[in-house]
Amino acid sequence: MSFAAPSWFPATESVEDELARRGVSRREFMEYCSSLCIVLGVGKSEAPRMAAAILADRRPSVIWIQLQECTGCVESVIRTSEPSIGTLVLDQISLDFSHTLMAAAGHAAESAAAAAMAAEKGKYLLVVTGSIPLADDGIYLTIGGRTAKVILEEAAEGAAAIIALGACAHWGSVQAARPNPTGAVGVSEVIKNRPVVNIAGCPPIADVVTATVAHFLTFGRLPAVDGDGRPLFAYGARIHDQCPKRANFDAGQFVEKFDDEGARKGWCLYEVGCKGPATFSPCPIFQWNSHTDWPIGAGHPCIGCTERGFWDTMTPFYGRLPDVGGFGIESKVDILGAALAIGATAGVVAHAAATSVHQMRERKRSLPVVDPTSGGPGTPKA
Amino acid sequence: MSATPLPPQPAPPRPRGFTLGHRIPPPSGEYRWVYLWDAPLRAMHWLAAIAIVALAVTGFYIGKPYFITGGAESADPFVMGWMRFIHFASAAVLVMTAIVRGYWLLAGNKFERFAALFPVRPRDWVNMWKQAKFYMLMERHPPAYLGHNPMQQLSYTGIYLVAAVMVVTGFALYGQSNPGGLINRGFAWVPALAGGIQMVRFIHHVLTWVLIIFIPMHIYLAMRADTLERTGVISSIITGGRFVDAKEKFIDAEDA
Ligand code: SF4
Repeated sequence: MSFAAPSWFPATESVEDELARRGVSRREFMEYCSSLCIVLGVGKSEAPRMAAAILADRRPSVIWIQLQECTGCVESVIRTSEPSIGTLVLDQISLDFSHTLMAAAGHAAESAAAAAMAAEKGKYLLVVTGSIPLADDGIYLTIGGRTAKVILEEAAEGAAAIIALGACAHWGSVQAARPNPTGAVGVSEVIKNRPVVNIAGCPPIADVVTATVAHFLTFGRLPAVDGDGRPLFAYGARIHDQCPKRANFDAGQFVEKFDDEGARKGWCLYEVGCKGPATFSPCPIFQWNSHTDWPIGAGHPCIGCTERGFWDTMTPFYGRLPDVGGFGIESKVDILGAALAIGATAGVVAHAAATSVHQMRERKRSLPVVDPTSGGPGTPKA
Repeated sequence: MSATPLPPQPAPPRPRGFTLGHRIPPPSGEYRWVYLWDAPLRAMHWLAAIAIVALAVTGFYIGKPYFITGGAESADPFVMGWMRFIHFASAAVLVMTAIVRGYWLLAGNKFERFAALFPVRPRDWVNMWKQAKFYMLMERHPPAYLGHNPMQQLSYTGIYLVAAVMVVTGFALYGQSNPGGLINRGFAWVPALAGGIQMVRFIHHVLTWVLIIFIPMHIYLAMRADTLERTGVISSIITGGRFVDAKEKFIDAEDA
């Protein structure tokens, strides 16, 4: 019944020991749990429960598999110059099995994974990064001779819940952009019979992952999600509505091109293609790299990376409207529209001129004018 | 008894000056006034016209702010804020006109009712061709309709459709400011159908041009009908009715 750490597991150290070794006091850890509870919107009073769940020896195992991806999501989670408590907690609780990070390799790793999944069947939390290529029977990604689809289905079979981490696992990301040669899809398109939560973003913010894992460990279920399976605590609000440049937007103060006066003053990036008005993400609040900054804060428009299909729908990244059909229609629609409007106006003027010429000819032909009531030529129809 | 033949009449002098219309009906007094457009319909027409102009002007600013506000402080000017407010307020007016018009499709007279939107009878297609020939200066007299002729039916119904798509896409965009709200959830099918919210934005933008292109043609053809055919259609959208020749037969006069 109890879960024995597999032999490849780097240490038998508990989360508590590891945190202590890294110099995180209990008090700091509790404060961290409180902040996670606030982020999740469950109230500070749940903090002791969350702390207990994270520190529990017999917490559900977390298994992390990596499919068609660039490992950028793992980088986003682990690679911080100064690891936050959240990163440490996540390392400790979620990397029981991770293709990139574990020490073991080859058959040893594969059988250890199988053993871990069997031991915790029906209880573990599965984290997936990367998409699943389905074209040509899935030959575009195989690990140990098995396709990504088979690996995912096996891992999902015994999972209590699944976290699809990053844009690839969410919907396929860049490899699923038109024309999607490998037939890449997200986790929820392959696994229909398990709860899947999508941590959107390319890459997502580590704190969102930690909070979602902590929510699962504490309450035994995934947090509430929006229509696209993204947790509402993180993706429930639009960037545009939380943006510090919103005052400039409302004032009508825009960067018109990079490096202009407006850019130096830090004005709104709407005109240079900011997708903040169409993007739901906690970036303005959580920020990146230990809360240092975020793209819009650094003067770059949002590219909408938390939205499904953003490589196709949010491009061109520096334009307001999508590039329909890939031949630059977006830049031409206003030119075309204006041309047609001017054309229509010119057309009616020309038509009016032609009509009056026609009328004058008609009138000449029907002259002399006779008594209008006589019914002769040129008089009105009865 | 046989009438004495009249001596040959001298031709009256050529009319002097220039007049665009050639068919000035005789001032015989043989006119009747037909009432076509009920007050709600006329009011909605003009309200919608004002709303559409306001929506286009502010909408183009929202789509691409064509001027920027100077000054370093953003606390005082509220240009985009006002543009958006006017845009949404005008949109509300347009939706209101659509609701009233929708009700009037059921409650209105035979020229306003649902059936009048669609030129489906075979005679309508014949007359549409005649109307087209009239516009191509190949026909002297267009088919005489009291209400809308088939070409008008088709184009006005088309404009209703464009306006409906504008309203639906507009709500889908507007709903994003209150995620999970009633409008956001109620119009979630729109981006799903269009292929993402950016496509919704694109459609909303392109159709603005369709409405703008419609305006000069609509005004021109109305003025043309008034000056050339002396139909009095412009006054009919103001007073509700127009004067017609008492003896003239109208194609749609007997329609149920
Ligand atoms: S920078 Fe982007 S998200 Fe921020 S106010 Fe401007 S358009 Fe909105």
